[in-house]
Amino acid sequence: MADHVSEATIEATIETCASEPIRIPGAIQPYGALMVLDPQTLSCLQRSRNFAMIVGVEPDSMTPEFQQLRAEISRWRLGDAAQLLTRANMPGRLLHVTGHRSPQGLVIELEPPPATSPDFSLDGFYPRLRGFLERIRSAPDLAAIAQAAVADMRAITGFNRILLYAFDHDGHGTVIAEDNDGVLPSYQGLRFPASDIPPQARDLYRLNRIRLIGDSNYTPCPIDPPYSPVDGQPLDLSFASLRSVSPIHLEYMRNMGTGSSMSVSLVVDGELWGLISGHRREPWHVHPQTRAACESLGQILSLQIEAYLRAERSSERLALKGVESQLLAAMAASDKDFEEALIHSSDLLMALTRAEGAAIVTHEDIRRAGTTPPRDAIMRIAADLFARQQETFATDSLSETWPDAAEYADRASGMLAISISQIRPDYLFWFRPEVVRTVNWSGDPTKPMSAGKERLHPRQSFALWKEQVHQRCLPWTDVERDSATGFRSSIQNMILRGAEEKAELTDRLERANKELEAFSYSISHDLRAPFRHIVGFAELLSDREKSLDAKSQHYLRTISEAAHAAGRLVDDLLNFSQLGRASLRIKPVDMNALVLSVRRLLEPELAGRDVTWRIDDLPQANGDAVMITQVFQNLLQNAIKFTATRTRAEISITAEDDGDRIAYTVADNGVGFEMDYSDKLFGVFQRLHSAEEFPGTGIGLALVKRIVMRHGGTISGRGAPDAGAAFTFSLPRRPITRDAGPPHG
Amino acid sequence: MADLRPILLVEDNPRDLELTLAALAKCQLANEIVVARDGAEALDYLYRRGQHAARPPGDPAVVLLDLKLPKVDGLQVLEKVKTDSEQRQIPVVMLTSSREERDLLRSYELGVNAFVVKPVDFNAFFEAIQDLGMFWAILNEPPPGGRANA
Repeated sequence: MADHVSEATIEATIETCASEPIRIPGAIQPYGALMVLDPQTLSCLQRSRNFAMIVGVEPDSMTPEFQQLRAEISRWRLGDAAQLLTRANMPGRLLHVTGHRSPQGLVIELEPPPATSPDFSLDGFYPRLRGFLERIRSAPDLAAIAQAAVADMRAITGFNRILLYAFDHDGHGTVIAEDNDGVLPSYQGLRFPASDIPPQARDLYRLNRIRLIGDSNYTPCPIDPPYSPVDGQPLDLSFASLRSVSPIHLEYMRNMGTGSSMSVSLVVDGELWGLISGHRREPWHVHPQTRAACESLGQILSLQIEAYLRAERSSERLALKGVESQLLAAMAASDKDFEEALIHSSDLLMALTRAEGAAIVTHEDIRRAGTTPPRDAIMRIAADLFARQQETFATDSLSETWPDAAEYADRASGMLAISISQIRPDYLFWFRPEVVRTVNWSGDPTKPMSAGKERLHPRQSFALWKEQVHQRCLPWTDVERDSATGFRSSIQNMILRGAEEKAELTDRLERANKELEAFSYSISHDLRAPFRHIVGFAELLSDREKSLDAKSQHYLRTISEAAHAAGRLVDDLLNFSQLGRASLRIKPVDMNALVLSVRRLLEPELAGRDVTWRIDDLPQANGDAVMITQVFQNLLQNAIKFTATRTRAEISITAEDDGDRIAYTVADNGVGFEMDYSDKLFGVFQRLHSAEEFPGTGIGLALVKRIVMRHGGTISGRGAPDAGAAFTFSLPRRPITRDAGPPHG
Repeated sequence: MADLRPILLVEDNPRDLELTLAALAKCQLANEIVVARDGAEALDYLYRRGQHAARPPGDPAVVLLDLKLPKVDGLQVLEKVKTDSEQRQIPVVMLTSSREERDLLRSYELGVNAFVVKPVDFNAFFEAIQDLGMFWAILNEPPPGGRANA
């Protein structure tokens, strides 16, 4: 993202420059001459107007010297070499000749060696190149590599000043190395806006890696005819070293106070990474061989930078991968769900992108760690990203997208977000606080180029212009962004695996439940029958044999009672297991009427007892009436049972309504229980009293709990030995029907 | 006016059969008790075929039908009877050990006249059988135009 400089200004500036036809200027710089030859016949198709002046003859000349050049061109065109590089000895002059193929013909450039530049021989270049390689290899960091390059470049070219610019994501260039003899001002550390180099120039710089402007005051020399006879188009000079440059650029040079310039492209990973740019106050013609050496130097430097950045990135990547492995291991070892596990390991989570805060939004819930924006702000951002279908999002200025983020810029100015669900606004966020920085611009970049009467004018001032940058964090590096997106796929795998495991578990549970159902169905038929038979036949026998003595009658009764009890146990168990499966029929339930009917049902058990009832007016509940009847039946039955030893039993039913849930309490003054064992109250077959004292199957409270749980409620018991017991169950106003058995739910 | 048509008891379990017969005997009903030991035999009786081909015509006063039966089970017998326009008016009482809701629901869907879960408690069982016997054999008038009256 651009720094504080208005994007719109830069866009506008770039657009005006972008319309410059820089590849087809229709002219060349006059320090050399150019001709275009037909690749078959070698007849001349186009030429620069200065051709005869530079070369001494016209392109169709039949002089022996020119014939010799033509023969050399002919050999080259039949060979494989991309470029022609030779010398032509014309009468009275030695010319350097270069040539390249183009769809419009063979483009041949001829250039006299500069008078101002020392003749630079290849013999002198190689030792220098070896020295350069040695220096950049031993350079400890990028700055040192760059410094070695500018120093060598100045030594071989004789420019006053060599700058090395590195471009950022937005195309702004910063001078990271400079070698200067003091004639021209220093630009070390200054930043040049992207608009200084329009996009089509950047494209060209990627393809043709060196250009020289020998004199910023030159008069362009036109090409005749202006349109190629081959395709009727202006001659494409993209790869010609003599290409005439944009008048805007020449004005820019003059504004900068430079009479000549040369720049070499640094292309890293296929992108224009930077430029080495040389300037001299006066016009300066760099020898073609020196230029070739500089181009090689640029290529070596590009490779070196590429290697350096790769090594840096991969060690960074390795470090962050290490963090990710640790984090994933911590999550795998955790028995919590992944959101909890992540927050639990929040240090690692933040280290993953070198953030200072993190947040996880899942299921409209949020968990935060470190320094983050407020909860609601994060939720809003998640919703916005989801609405825009953003799977990943990175910014070093939240307030640029969310203006109200300015309020918490000190806590979070930058954000990295990754989506972790396709169907919900679930995101993982990293945050970085604001880092206030000063950017040293070369000239005020917010001042657009002035549009003069005839054409645009580049900016006039290159003076230091300091800008304070606020509401920005340190930018997220590619490696940090990659780390986040890499982690995203790990998490998605984890969620996917979790879902698979869950599905498998559900499947297993469903199978188990079906078996259980079949089992209980057959029990309900087959296990009950024998008990019925025992009871039946014992009764028949006792009816028939009136003569049985008391002892025999007692035995028969015992047989009958035991079988009876066992049968009830089976019934209770079946009832309990059915409860897990039966579906709830939730309706408003009149609890007063329900309690009354239960009391009527239990009347036989009150025979001969003195029970004082205290029953509040009970608020209406939402639930399954049949099941809630069973709850009260069990609780009241217990209350009656455990007060049997009291001469005067007191049983109360009260209710409390807190808006969300209604709590009903059944309390008695019976034998109570020890709170130490309260956790056993609601287990199946758990008894706190002997069956002799108080008969029962030990299922009643388990049943009650299961019913209450299925209504989404809670139940608890309070008691003390010999001091009564109270059971409170609460039902939500709007019951969430929770299936009790894992199976069908 | 007592209806002296027979009672058809369909029960495979010999002990349940004996207990049920003992209970019915206590009611001192004059009705003949016909016993079928599985669903197939019950249908043979109702449709006067197989071993019951020679029985005198007329529908039973009531069918006491166990749910779990060999060969053709109780629900199938019930379905057959209640989907046959000739048989539909015969009262069928389902007797079962099962408290399974689905059995109950299915029976009512098929048009059962009563559904009794055999209680473990012998006296309760006794009373249930007696009530059933009394109600269906004595008190329950067959619908007018029923075949018994024809």
